[in-house]
Amino acid sequence: MQAASSIGTSLDFYLFVSFALFTIGAIGAMTRKNMIVLLMCIELMLNAVNLMLVTFSTYYNNGDAQIFVFFTMVVAAAEATVGLSIIIMAYRNLKSIDIDMYNKLKN
Amino acid sequence: MDSIIILFITGLIGLFVGMSKKPVASLLIASLGLIGAGLAAYFRGSYTSPFTSYAAYVPTQGIVIILLCAVTLLAILGGFKRYQHDSEHTGDYLGLILFSLCGAILMAQPNDLMLFFIGLEILSIPIYVLVGIDKGSSTSAEAAVKYFFTGSFASAIILFGIALLYGATGSFQLVEIQSNLAIGIWQSPMAMIGSLFLLAGFTFKIGAVPFHFWGPDVYDGASNAVLMYMSTVVKIAGVYAVVNVFGQVFRDSYFFWIDLVSLLIVVSMFYGYITAWKQTSFRRLIAYSSIANAGLMLFALADTHNSNLFVFVAAYAVATIALVAINQATNDASDSLANWEGIAWKNPLIGVSLVLALFSLAGIPPLAGFFGKYTLLWSAVPHVPYTAMLALIASVIGAFVYLRLMLLALKKPTVSMRIQLSVEQIIVLVFTALASVGAIYFI
Repeated sequence: MQAASSIGTSLDFYLFVSFALFTIGAIGAMTRKNMIVLLMCIELMLNAVNLMLVTFSTYYNNGDAQIFVFFTMVVAAAEATVGLSIIIMAYRNLKSIDIDMYNKLKN
Repeated sequence: MDSIIILFITGLIGLFVGMSKKPVASLLIASLGLIGAGLAAYFRGSYTSPFTSYAAYVPTQGIVIILLCAVTLLAILGGFKRYQHDSEHTGDYLGLILFSLCGAILMAQPNDLMLFFIGLEILSIPIYVLVGIDKGSSTSAEAAVKYFFTGSFASAIILFGIALLYGATGSFQLVEIQSNLAIGIWQSPMAMIGSLFLLAGFTFKIGAVPFHFWGPDVYDGASNAVLMYMSTVVKIAGVYAVVNVFGQVFRDSYFFWIDLVSLLIVVSMFYGYITAWKQTSFRRLIAYSSIANAGLMLFALADTHNSNLFVFVAAYAVATIALVAINQATNDASDSLANWEGIAWKNPLIGVSLVLALFSLAGIPPLAGFFGKYTLLWSAVPHVPYTAMLALIASVIGAFVYLRLMLLALKKPTVSMRIQLSVEQIIVLVFTALASVGAIYFI
């Protein structure tokens, strides 16, 4: 809990950038239609969190969060792999990557 | 840890044996792995994670691992007809299920948010693949796309919550987070927003209102075999995780989030049961019933001793698996509830286990579902009396939903059509019926 802030007052700026990136990603993930762009938006959200984790890690002089960043990167890579293969599989079926075309399952 | 290692190794072996295109061999190996993992959890009991330098805060209870393994065993036995039919991919199905179970065990009772997040992803990513494993079908593709995007969005939300909590407390260890929050840090906006983000992500994963919208579509598009696994194990693991994180770590901010959680419970239950009433598709009905049941499971948050949760989640899982297995045995191609008319007469075993499963879900006294609901609600009544009362009203509506399904299935058909069950289906139906009845001996 001792904040040995080698990062000083610039903490706020880092946090501001990471909040902004996360918000851009979240808004994009909710409004965009192209599935590739959706995947990119989700990656953007994960990377915004990475930036925040590294900032806090420097702020607390504690390496835990930097290790977590590596885990997050691996998770993001695994998600991108699975996501791209799902998109290819879906494209083969419906010949479109517009998320609005996927509306058959409705009651 | 032993259980996870056993599951991982048998999952790998299962993948390779799957190449021989002998479905029974794959099933045997996966079952042995699950039984071995359950036994390891039974003999080792609770374990301390090697990833933490402290004593485990919430030691992983062996009983939860055993429950997860038993439910998965029932799910793979129940779905085996489907895997056998698709013999090229049997190994893939079973391997992915075992890998995802490793994640479920990791995340169910975390003592470190880092490990919890990795467990969550190990649980989720194989299920994205499993939902879309039927490559030629456009509904399966649609379900996979929807589940993947909502699921990874939820993961990002949870990750954001974890990062904010780290920013507020300076640690990922639940022990340290709890002790730091206890000295008043939970009143800082960062910790509050972080816990709300975590709650939002959790409701996404267990499928409670307000982030339930993916449930019906995904359950509808996934095959019965996959539905058996994902409607039970994901929910059990997610609910245990939310109870541990909120009930233990955030217990000092109890009065901050309990009203919100009560609201989620009430809306989930009414929405789930009322919408289930007018469904015409069986899998959608199961999806809405699972939304309502997810609301009920959140009652475990009202009282922070999570031991009262066990009977209810076990009863829910067993009854859901029985119903989906019956749907698969009688009605695998189409999904319409109209085909359910008179299916109880097609085979005596189907009739008996169907009635027991539906009574158990509806909460009729001598069955497991009743005891589950009773212990869950009784421990919550002193803390949230009005929510519990509303939940009782919603449960009555729910009982009518299940009884309507039962009347449909019990309608005497004009022409009697008998069907034969395969060995593993008989095992699943007998075991689920016994579990629904036998709960009375453990209370």
